[in-house]
Amino acid sequence: MRALILGLVFLAVSVWAQPILIGFQGPLTGSWAVEGDWALKSVQIAVEIVNARGGILGRPIQLVVEDDGGTPKGGTLAAQKLIAAGVKFVVGTYGSMVCMPSSELYEEEGVLHINYGCTRVDLSARGFKYYFRTSGRDDSQARFFVEYVIPLFGAKRIAVMHDNTAYALGVAEDVLRFMKPLLDAGKLQLVYYDAIMPGERDYTPALTALRDANPDIWYYTGYYPEWALLLRQGKDLGLDWKKIKAVGSNACPISEAVKIAGIDAVMGAMITQEPLPAFLVEKYTLAKEFVTSYEAKYGPIHDSPWATYAADAIFTLAFAIEATKSLDPVVVARYLRSGAVVGEGITGPLSFSPEGDRLGVPYMLLICNEKGESALFDPAVHGHLVGM
Amino acid sequence: MRLLGKRPTWLYKQPVRWAFLAATIALLLSFPFWASRYWIDVGFYVGLYALLGLGLNVILGEVGLFNLGHAAFWALGAYTTAILNVRLGIPTLALLPLSALVAGGCAWLISSPIIHLRGDYLCIVTIALGEIVRLVLINNPAGLTGGPNGVIGIARPVFLGHVIRTPLDFYFLVWAMVALCAFALRQLQRSRIGRAWNYIREDEIAAEAMGVDVRSLKLLAFVLGAALAGLAGNIFAAKMRMVSPDSFTFMESCLMFCIVLLGGMGSIPGTILGAALVVLFPEIFRPVAQYRLLFFGLALAATMYFRPGGLWPRRRAVEFTAGRAARP
Amino acid sequence: MLTFIQQLLNGLTIGSFYAFVALGYSLIYAILKLINFAHGDLFGLGAYVGYTVFVYAFGVIGGALGLWGLLAVGFAAAALATAGAGLVIERVAYRPIYPIGRLPAVVSALGMAIFLSNLIMAVWGPRYLAYQESFIPTGFWQIGEFRIRILQVLILVSALVLLGILYFVVEKTTFGAAIRAAALDRETAALMGIDFLKVIRFAFAMGPALGAIAGVFVGMYYRQINFTMGWVYGLKAFTATIMGGIGNIPGAMVGGILLGLLEAMTAGYISAAWKDVFVFAALMLMLIFRPTGLLGEKVAEKV
Repeated sequence: MRALILGLVFLAVSVWAQPILIGFQGPLTGSWAVEGDWALKSVQIAVEIVNARGGILGRPIQLVVEDDGGTPKGGTLAAQKLIAAGVKFVVGTYGSMVCMPSSELYEEEGVLHINYGCTRVDLSARGFKYYFRTSGRDDSQARFFVEYVIPLFGAKRIAVMHDNTAYALGVAEDVLRFMKPLLDAGKLQLVYYDAIMPGERDYTPALTALRDANPDIWYYTGYYPEWALLLRQGKDLGLDWKKIKAVGSNACPISEAVKIAGIDAVMGAMITQEPLPAFLVEKYTLAKEFVTSYEAKYGPIHDSPWATYAADAIFTLAFAIEATKSLDPVVVARYLRSGAVVGEGITGPLSFSPEGDRLGVPYMLLICNEKGESALFDPAVHGHLVGM
Repeated sequence: MRLLGKRPTWLYKQPVRWAFLAATIALLLSFPFWASRYWIDVGFYVGLYALLGLGLNVILGEVGLFNLGHAAFWALGAYTTAILNVRLGIPTLALLPLSALVAGGCAWLISSPIIHLRGDYLCIVTIALGEIVRLVLINNPAGLTGGPNGVIGIARPVFLGHVIRTPLDFYFLVWAMVALCAFALRQLQRSRIGRAWNYIREDEIAAEAMGVDVRSLKLLAFVLGAALAGLAGNIFAAKMRMVSPDSFTFMESCLMFCIVLLGGMGSIPGTILGAALVVLFPEIFRPVAQYRLLFFGLALAATMYFRPGGLWPRRRAVEFTAGRAARP
Repeated sequence: MLTFIQQLLNGLTIGSFYAFVALGYSLIYAILKLINFAHGDLFGLGAYVGYTVFVYAFGVIGGALGLWGLLAVGFAAAALATAGAGLVIERVAYRPIYPIGRLPAVVSALGMAIFLSNLIMAVWGPRYLAYQESFIPTGFWQIGEFRIRILQVLILVSALVLLGILYFVVEKTTFGAAIRAAALDRETAALMGIDFLKVIRFAFAMGPALGAIAGVFVGMYYRQINFTMGWVYGLKAFTATIMGGIGNIPGAMVGGILLGLLEAMTAGYISAAWKDVFVFAALMLMLIFRPTGLLGEKVAEKV
């Protein structure tokens, strides 16, 4: 009898508590399906956490998932599909050129759109009202490299390598831009600047040229599959990562590089990285909860900052809707733009500039230790706040 | 052949054809008024790929030239629009003919030395061409193409004071182009040129012997097909308001190739139908999320399995294919 | 000079991969005049099957087999499984279609290519999988500043040996004569009592098997595989096939090696970013002046 009443009450509550629809747009097929997969799993965990705490405004979140295939065209179709489903809040997507046309559609329809893996600077320079991102920007990472990493090692001869993808080229150009005063003043020297072809499997020629340039520090701004091959083939060529400081971008998770290239090749190499959940568990309670739930369901936590930001986009929405007590994207967007700290997510305090950029993304320098794991280069410097 | 023979003859009766045409036009015109924005956008992409397919149909369907690099001409049209609009501020719609001209002109320049190649050798050269164009765009010559970042900030087209911005506007823009091109191509199909093209496709040497100017006619087909792709490029650039090289991959060329064959070589309504399939299949399989391309691949193969001559083969094409079946 | 020799060796290794894959294209093309776009993804499938077998065989039998025993098992399994997949695809997706015309079969092949790569993603996941050190021959010879990996030599030697065997089969045996006859004129060959289906089955088992071996080698050499790798290799290998003269076995070999060398040298001496532009431009120029490939038959195409 009691069970029946409980059941009826539960039924009544669940009927009354209409779920809040939140859209997820990501590359579930195509070349970036890995990132889409991680992001979707992370977002699902974040939704479970919010729902376990009673949802938003007493209502559970329900995810609406659409694949954009990692192409601009796929992005517009996924966005239209989400809009047609009546979604008012969207988390997505990975890749700036996919994001650009989709975010225009969200803007026109007044759908609040939080980006998790698009770092192109001008995305937030379009004067949009509904656009936000939980990730950093290309230039914040470049600034971190020039203002923090180069002085840290007292490097003078700088090598920059990219892979001609939108993302890598952007970081490389920003590094040059921030270094320019120092280059002009003769304090630094750019000894190598070139691109490699992604998807290519033999980088010995580029590495030979790198060796001949004899840099103090070598910054690779592309993605991990190529970086891993570069490290492996560089090692085979006899390059020493103690002599040449090898630094990869935040698209180069060390664990993946080690899997591909082996510990001996990656050991001592570093990456400039946005906060990863594994390093945040001691600092933020939500990070701990997130990592625990993720590992219970899907196995070891991924190394992707983007997927982590995707989860934080869900938390941002949850906090902001709860704070404003409103499901109106206009109200929520206005609140987010105020610069207030809406709450503490997996990656620390969540707050946004009037343009929609994340304020104060804590970057970190990670190094691959003897066990092939990533570790903080300097445990004392947990996050160098960039973009405040 | 068994499958080809099934096609009922009443479909070819004139009144039935007109009724069917009228019904199709009524459907296409009324569709955006009862469909959601999502389906309107899907309809837009069907129109866009139909335009691309019609262009390739001239080259592949009418003349039988294997072109697996058609995305290159699409890219040329899109980039012409993007660069001239963003740098010089020329209105996007005014660039429509220019995009076609640039794509067609480039096609003429590039195809002149390779047009004598036959069959699969021409096929690989067009693949190479498609890849070269894409790679050049990525490598950002003279800072024009913006490299992998592409070009952003393309202005919305304005037609007689009306800004074309909503899915509905673009739907009508693209389908107006499709209707215009389909009509023009149908007239061309029935002209001396069209018949000469088909002659070349059936038997090039015999055509040459009969005094058909094979080389010029092949070039004309190439230029015309590329110009249509250039038009599609302009509309695509205006719709996305940005262009980037990752939209113009070899896979896109392959899909266009599929459009022509799914519909039926040389068949204009078939090409439009083929475009509908190529755009709709991945959308229909959305509920299975990451497995949708898996089903898309199967659907492509299955369509060819059940209708090897295409969904809507041209009558003459049917006879041709069936007759050839004995000695492929 | 050091750079040059290094590039030469790299070019030869990449070229061997292309040659392996190009061979399958060439064999199938010669017989059916079909560009089998699914071939690249069969190569990818081979790499994944090899990976799985290595991981499980290593886990179950452990060191009992020894490295070379493990390699033999892995290669055999990958080649067999992929040959099986090739035969199934031929039966299901091509055989009902190619009598109608070769272009519909191309669409079917593209469909199969998309299907296969997404099947790999569905089964093994979208991540990069890494070939582990424990099943890769890692030794090398150091000659001065110069380093030759055992694996590279292994790749080159297997390419030469396997292609040599295939060449012998096609050119010197009775069955090879049947293949050549079928390639030349299917109907006449059938009238002469040649079992055309048998010839096709041979091509669709042999081509993918060679591709699978290349796939496993690629996994070992670069230590990582992913579900989209087949498409890129397929395109490159097809280029190599055309360069050598389509439907010509030594031609596919020469085309593959040449393409590898061309890539390595342009990457090393001109620009890595413009490498593929040069490669494809070279291909176009070559076809303009030598329209049937390097070792292509000198007769005009039959009409």
